[in-house]
Amino acid sequence: MQGSAGLTAYVPLIVMFVLAGGFALFSVTAAPYIGPRRYNRAKLDTYECGIEPSPQPVVGGGRVPVAYYLTAMLFILFDIEMVFLYPFVINIDALGLFGLVEIVLFIGTVAFAYAYVWRRGGLDWT
Amino acid sequence: MSALVIVLVLLPLVGATVCGVLVKGGRDATARSAGFAVSLVELVLVAVIWGLFDPSAPTRFQGESSVEWIPAFGVSFALGLDGIALAMIALLAVLVPIVIAYTSFTRAAERFPDGPDGEPRGAGGFVALMLSLQGVLVALFAATDVFVFYVMFEVMLVPMYFIIGRFGGARRQYAAVKFFLYSFLGGLIMLGSVIGIYVASGTRLGAATFDWAELQRLAAQLPESTQIFLFLGFFAAFAIKAPLVPLHTWLPDAGAQAPIGGGVILVGVLDKVGVFGFLRYCLPLFPLASQTLAPLVLVLSVIGVLYGALLAAMQTDMKRFVSYTSIAHFGFIGLGIFAFSQQSVAGSALYMVNHGISTAMLFLVVGMLAARGGSTQIADYGGVGKIAPVLAGLFLVAGLTTLSLPGTNSFVSEFLVLLGSWPREPVYTVIATVGIIFAALYVLWVYQRTMTGPLRGEAVVGGGPGAATARALAGGPGFSDTVDTDPPDATRRARFGDLSGREIGVLAPLVLLIFLLGFFPQPVLDVINPAVSATMSEVGVADPVGPNGVAR
Amino acid sequence: MGSQSFSDALGVDYGALAPLLIVLGGACVSVLLEAVLPRVRRRSVQLVFSLAVVVVALAAVIIRATSGAGDVVVLAGSLSVDAPGLFLWGTLLALAVPSVLMLADRSVEPGGVFVADPEALAEAQERVGAGSLRSTSSGLPSGTGTDTHGVVGRRGGAGPEPTTPPEMHTEIFPFVLFALGGMLAFSAANDLLTMFVALEVLSLPLYLLCGLARRRRLLSQEAAVKYFLLGAFASAFFLYGVALLYGYAGSVRLADIAASAAGPLRSDALLFAGLALLVVGLMFKASVGPFHTWTPDVYQGAPTPVTAFMAACTKVAAFGAILRVFTVAFGTTALEWRGVLWAVAIASMVIGTVLGITQTDLKRMVAYSSVAHAGFILIGCLAITPAGLSGTLFYLLAYGFTTIAILGLVSLVRSGDGEAGHLSGYAGLAQRSPVVAAALSFCLLALAGVPLTSGFTAKFAVFSAGLADGMAPLVIVGLVCSAIAAFFYLRVIVLMYFSDPAPDGPTVSLPGPMTTVAITLGVAVTLLLGVLPTAALEWAGAGTFLG
Repeated sequence: MQGSAGLTAYVPLIVMFVLAGGFALFSVTAAPYIGPRRYNRAKLDTYECGIEPSPQPVVGGGRVPVAYYLTAMLFILFDIEMVFLYPFVINIDALGLFGLVEIVLFIGTVAFAYAYVWRRGGLDWT
Repeated sequence: MSALVIVLVLLPLVGATVCGVLVKGGRDATARSAGFAVSLVELVLVAVIWGLFDPSAPTRFQGESSVEWIPAFGVSFALGLDGIALAMIALLAVLVPIVIAYTSFTRAAERFPDGPDGEPRGAGGFVALMLSLQGVLVALFAATDVFVFYVMFEVMLVPMYFIIGRFGGARRQYAAVKFFLYSFLGGLIMLGSVIGIYVASGTRLGAATFDWAELQRLAAQLPESTQIFLFLGFFAAFAIKAPLVPLHTWLPDAGAQAPIGGGVILVGVLDKVGVFGFLRYCLPLFPLASQTLAPLVLVLSVIGVLYGALLAAMQTDMKRFVSYTSIAHFGFIGLGIFAFSQQSVAGSALYMVNHGISTAMLFLVVGMLAARGGSTQIADYGGVGKIAPVLAGLFLVAGLTTLSLPGTNSFVSEFLVLLGSWPREPVYTVIATVGIIFAALYVLWVYQRTMTGPLRGEAVVGGGPGAATARALAGGPGFSDTVDTDPPDATRRARFGDLSGREIGVLAPLVLLIFLLGFFPQPVLDVINPAVSATMSEVGVADPVGPNGVAR
Repeated sequence: MGSQSFSDALGVDYGALAPLLIVLGGACVSVLLEAVLPRVRRRSVQLVFSLAVVVVALAAVIIRATSGAGDVVVLAGSLSVDAPGLFLWGTLLALAVPSVLMLADRSVEPGGVFVADPEALAEAQERVGAGSLRSTSSGLPSGTGTDTHGVVGRRGGAGPEPTTPPEMHTEIFPFVLFALGGMLAFSAANDLLTMFVALEVLSLPLYLLCGLARRRRLLSQEAAVKYFLLGAFASAFFLYGVALLYGYAGSVRLADIAASAAGPLRSDALLFAGLALLVVGLMFKASVGPFHTWTPDVYQGAPTPVTAFMAACTKVAAFGAILRVFTVAFGTTALEWRGVLWAVAIASMVIGTVLGITQTDLKRMVAYSSVAHAGFILIGCLAITPAGLSGTLFYLLAYGFTTIAILGLVSLVRSGDGEAGHLSGYAGLAQRSPVVAAALSFCLLALAGVPLTSGFTAKFAVFSAGLADGMAPLVIVGLVCSAIAAFFYLRVIVLMYFSDPAPDGPTVSLPGPMTTVAITLGVAVTLLLGVLPTAALEWAGAGTFLG
């Protein structure tokens, strides 16, 4: 019975899972019935976080240039890497020299990747 | 002597390498001669070892040597000879030069399949494969380490596979693969038991080992249930190899599709590994299981005697015929071994040698006949005795030794087997004796159909492919334009062609051995007997036949 | 986290970590080289650099192993450098040498497998007037010309000048080094999170490498997508398993999990649910059936050198991790979960063998054979004994080299539009190229487990360990499967030796020095480990996992 005692701690978690799942299911099923249906042009566009793609693809069959996605992806990658700098900065005193060396190494590897992207034309728009 | 045994293993392997290099260099004829010379040197070496072998020595193995090979598994490359192994090695050493000579130097040698250049493959490659097979087989018979034995047991398949697959008859691929798969399957089942006995030795002897003598000592400690499982693993491999009846189906295919020389070694020596395995591994290592399961083996053996004989009589192809006669003979050997008496086991061991000689003779004669007629179908021949009397005479000798006529070698061994089996296993012995009658039937019937009577058959008088070969051999005009005019036998004889001097030379040593061992088997028995006695004591069954040869 | 613990961590045992640091550092430098080097010199410099990195790392492993330095846990308990770990590292790095050589080879087809722009290369060769070269007729298999030009356009360069050597994707070198670094970390990971990170580090470059064949773009990219999707799925399983195990033990350290399991009684549900999910992720990487479904497609679709690298090295790393998890974290509870994994091992052996028989493409056949072999290796893993450990390690070494040699040989046999994967292409190969046929036969016999090849010694080691640990039924299934599998290995040999070649059949490329070295190395090791396995066996049995 010890086992069930250990598992009771998880009961709230399970309840939460059930609630979350139920809500998701409810929303999806209910939406077509109660939601208003008003179509406009923007809804048919490629999903781009609500911002109109720029530049607008005029030629090439209306396709968005691949470079757009590439640049976005690269931005996210380097953006995420920089997140690691925050905890370092906050704990800089506690981490001491070791932390400094480590973060320099970390920035170094990111810089290598950046150099690669730059040199191989990943940032060229044309 | 230890050094000589090692040389015995290495010499053919070196010879095979040399032959292979020569063949690659396009010097086929040199390769054949070199191979033949190596096989003769090997024969001399075996004769020397035979002279040095002391039958009264207290130890089971002589000429022992051991080199550590894989210490992690307790494996040593250990060699040593007992009488039975020596006899088998001697048989091999006699047959290999004969096979090489037949394949390389007789005019009637069969045409090998075409190579890539459209020409028939040269015999040099065959000689190289044969020598490598010999080296592996010598190591197999001489191994005193179970791991080494197992390794050789599997490795010997490779050269034989290529001998059948490259140099065999029309359906050689099928036969080669079937041969390899059957044997490999058996080998893997045996591997299970090899690992099993290795593990058992680790738990019971303290240190896991593959040393045969150590494992034999282990036998006393193993419970019977374990022994039975391990026995069955070894037995499966050996029964496929021997072959015993339900597992025999690969042999007629392999025997029929192998080139004549390959067939000789395949049926004559390679299959003996199965019965050799019974004697050297099944009985001493698993004595309790051997006794418990003896009825199983005896039943299979006796079925083999009768079934092999019946199917032999029904065959239409001479090479398949020879294969089936062998299955019948292996039945006798199995009977002798599992009847557990000094006489029967010694008879079986002697049978192993004698059957090798008889089968070789029969295969070679069939090969020489087929080289003239271009066919191995029995129905394609008739009255050959009229046009090739020497060939017919030697065919008869081969047939008579196959049916164990008194005065030929096989008689001694078959008689010993039956005599020794009688006291313990009278029922099986009586049934097996019926097989002797069948043997007379199938041999004489084949002889009568092919050799006696008026000339007939496609290969002899017709215009079939055989006649063309016969024309080519005779060097004269074809049969087809003269057959209607019924020329005198002398003309036909000249055209079909009797055996050449070289062919007779190839067969002469075998004929000599057939009669020599028929009248004077004692030298071989002297060598075999100590090993047989040792095996008997390892099995731990009292000999039912007294020292004076009378049943107790 | 005070400064004290970090300064402890600062005292890293660099000697123990050296191989890993060299490979990962080398990978970073390799990226930089990719950035700064002019195009024409990239390939040669990258090749030499990558090889040097691998060889130096291998030397570091050997120095460490022979120095007698004890087993240590480094980096705050996240990596364990012990005797089996060093053996796995040595195996991985040794296998990486022929892999890198094969990846870099350009002799077998013009420009190599990873040529950036095969169509432009073909045009360039036509312009030079090398119309007699086979490659000009090869073209692209499925008419993907416009897409290729799209790629060219993005790079902003036209096709190479006729005088410059054809460009290739030199990124494969950093990819391989990163993957290798991930594998090293994977097989030495002492906690499950490190293992997960290593799993991703080794997987991502492999996904990319799979999709880099330019001549058979569609097949290759299909393989990459399949591998990626299924791999991500398996990673998720792994991570879920880690979560459950953390819930059970309160730690992701392998030794802590074992300690919890041995501790006071508590529900095993989390432990075994966690193990089950963990095993799914691990078995996927090791291509153990029934988690093997990606294997045939990816092996077939990926460029052959990548297949070789994957088949050899990924297996070693994955089984290294499996061994470590089973031994260190779950060794104490082995009796309770082993039965389930018996079923997995049997399934793997049977699936690999039976489906292998039906294959008509050699690379797919090798894939199914690898599934069957994974089952054999699993027998060794399940025997949680020193013999099982050393047997498995030896098996991995032996299998890796044999597979690399086979795939190297496969890449040599080519018909008009690329590799002649179909078995019919191998008919009569012995007449066209006796050496290739002989080497391939030898390696296939090694896979079948014929004595005097490494395959036999390895099988023997694993099966004897399994039998000694009371797994007789598994061993028997293994033996039967070996026998059945021998059939399809033998079928290839039969085709090569006993059939007549088709007049318009494939040709055998003359391998350049690099592929030759790779194949020779594979064949030589296969023979050596079959005839004289003692040294490798002793090293494999030198110690046990630290945990």
